[in-house]
Amino acid sequence: MNKLFRNCLYQGKNLFRDPGFLFWALMYPIILFTFFNLAFSGMMNYEPVNINVGVKNDSQIAYILKDIDFLNVHEISGDEIAEKLKSGDISAFIDSNLNLKVAGSGINQTIIKEVVEQIKQTFVLNRPLEKIDFSVDYLEDRNQEANNVAVTFYALIAMVSLYGIFAGIETVSLIQANLSDVGVRINVTPLKKGSFLLAGTIDALLLNLMSNGILLLFITFILRITLFYEFFYSIILIIMGNFLGVALGIFVGASNKKSEDAKSLMAIAITLFLSFLSGLMGPWIKVMLDQKAPLLSRLNPVSIITNNLYRLNFLGSSKSAGEGILFLAFYCIVLILGAYLFLRRKKYDSV
Amino acid sequence: MVVKMNNVVKRYNELIALDHFNMEVVEGEILGLLGPNGCGKTTAISCILSLIRFSKGEIEVFGQRMTPNSYDIKKKIGLVPQDVSVFDNLNVQENVDYFCGLYVDDKKTRQKYVAQALEFVGLMDYIKFYPKKLSGGLKRRLNIACGIAHKPELIFLDEPTIGVDPQSRNFMLEGIKELNRQGSTIIYTTHYLDEAEMLCRRIIIMDNGKDLVTGTTEELKKMITTSEIIVVTFPLISEELINELRNLPRVIDIDTNDEEYIIKFENGVNNLSNLLEFINEHNLSYTSLHSKLPTLNEVFLELTGKELRD
Repeated sequence: MNKLFRNCLYQGKNLFRDPGFLFWALMYPIILFTFFNLAFSGMMNYEPVNINVGVKNDSQIAYILKDIDFLNVHEISGDEIAEKLKSGDISAFIDSNLNLKVAGSGINQTIIKEVVEQIKQTFVLNRPLEKIDFSVDYLEDRNQEANNVAVTFYALIAMVSLYGIFAGIETVSLIQANLSDVGVRINVTPLKKGSFLLAGTIDALLLNLMSNGILLLFITFILRITLFYEFFYSIILIIMGNFLGVALGIFVGASNKKSEDAKSLMAIAITLFLSFLSGLMGPWIKVMLDQKAPLLSRLNPVSIITNNLYRLNFLGSSKSAGEGILFLAFYCIVLILGAYLFLRRKKYDSV
Repeated sequence: MVVKMNNVVKRYNELIALDHFNMEVVEGEILGLLGPNGCGKTTAISCILSLIRFSKGEIEVFGQRMTPNSYDIKKKIGLVPQDVSVFDNLNVQENVDYFCGLYVDDKKTRQKYVAQALEFVGLMDYIKFYPKKLSGGLKRRLNIACGIAHKPELIFLDEPTIGVDPQSRNFMLEGIKELNRQGSTIIYTTHYLDEAEMLCRRIIIMDNGKDLVTGTTEELKKMITTSEIIVVTFPLISEELINELRNLPRVIDIDTNDEEYIIKFENGVNNLSNLLEFINEHNLSYTSLHSKLPTLNEVFLELTGKELRD
């Protein structure tokens, strides 16, 4: 235990004083968030909007929907549905069996879907419709453009939660005699590789969580943007993102003989690409993937974090959070096992 | 026997880095591995330390087969690698303390050892410096301190003086002698002849992955034909006279360097008087003349046909 503490202390000092870590894990996210905030200045504070939704003239749920402030309920006849959907007069149509008809995909449709899901759950539970919890805040004070900004911000948070990848790569490089000079020295000491790796992992997690914490404080108190309303699952998701980042770093570090700089570039490319697919550069890519390749969107770890942070904090829904956390845990296990297979080799061909 | 290598072969694809290499290291000695760059010195050390795989042969350290999991053996070993191997973002004291702590658990003992190591390499005034702020020589001293702070029984020093200024070099060589006096067995690799002669009790001369010869400096010098070298400077001498010089008894070879003639003699008596007699007979005038014993370079040259620095 004492040795583990000493290793954590010194490896942590070495990592924390690394200019690369200070930039990528601490400065870069803050700079990025500041620029994003400047670019989207004010978009988080729009007036509330109304979403137009269609129901049949004699619909049983019309009175429930009318109680929801942000919905404009249009009672329409059957032959008008297609026309109104196509023209955009309504964003979605809900039939008497609570099936949703939409002409396209977007945030409005997602919100209506969430409402319908809640009504369905109430039915399944045999609870009276009057008991539906309308206190759930689907929109807060945002319109669709503001939602787009939120998706971008959540994607950014998801991306930086994975930035433990850099520390993971560094830790593995330091323990491998064929990759670093320090690795040569460490490999001839009585220190076990596993001990060094464990200490490095603990440091990487703690330091990246610290940098995430600093970023969130910066967002909340300096930029004055409120992104979090649900804390329990949000924190777990960010922690799992950190675990995944470190595991990915260890895997990338262990799986090839490229230089540490080359691996850092790989790390940047991987996290940026996954974040791009999750809506970092604009939600259009995310919407397109949701339509054309929903599986890809569902498997992308950054998407998992982004989507769940959005649902938890914007739509008040935690129903997919558990599944997302399990997915992330699964990825961590697979990556660590993969890294173990590479690292278990004790002797090298050359150093 | 502290280290024993028997017929070790190490290949890098087509290249044979160690070719049936043999080495025995006796407790308490400084053994020099002498050879040109790329001859296999570092590869030999890496094989002993179980860092790299070898194709064939046996290696024992402290009488046991060395494996990556031989933690008890590793506790007795210190390594000063060829490249400076320290944490860039830990200062001098933290680096030495970290590596010493991998061997020594007791905090008080460790503090004492770290202070002694820093004193030993003369870095006490630099304990808060980060490696990048140190000169090349001071970095090498730090590299040594990290490898010896835990007072190992067996120390590997892999070309520790490369790129070091003369002052630091002398300081380091004196330190290495002191480590040996304190009881450590040392394996020292170098391609500097003077270092090997000055430090090592026994020397293994290596080339192309092979151990060519092993022995003390004197034993190695006795193995070659050249036993005496006389260097004489003639301002004016004809080619004919040079050829006559070659016919003097026991002359092996004559090398020329401008007006300087390096005459190599076989073992025997009166080599110098024979040469002086020749000079008098031919009324030759010379500006300087001195005699010297062969160096390890001559040994290496005769064994391999090339200079050590080739």
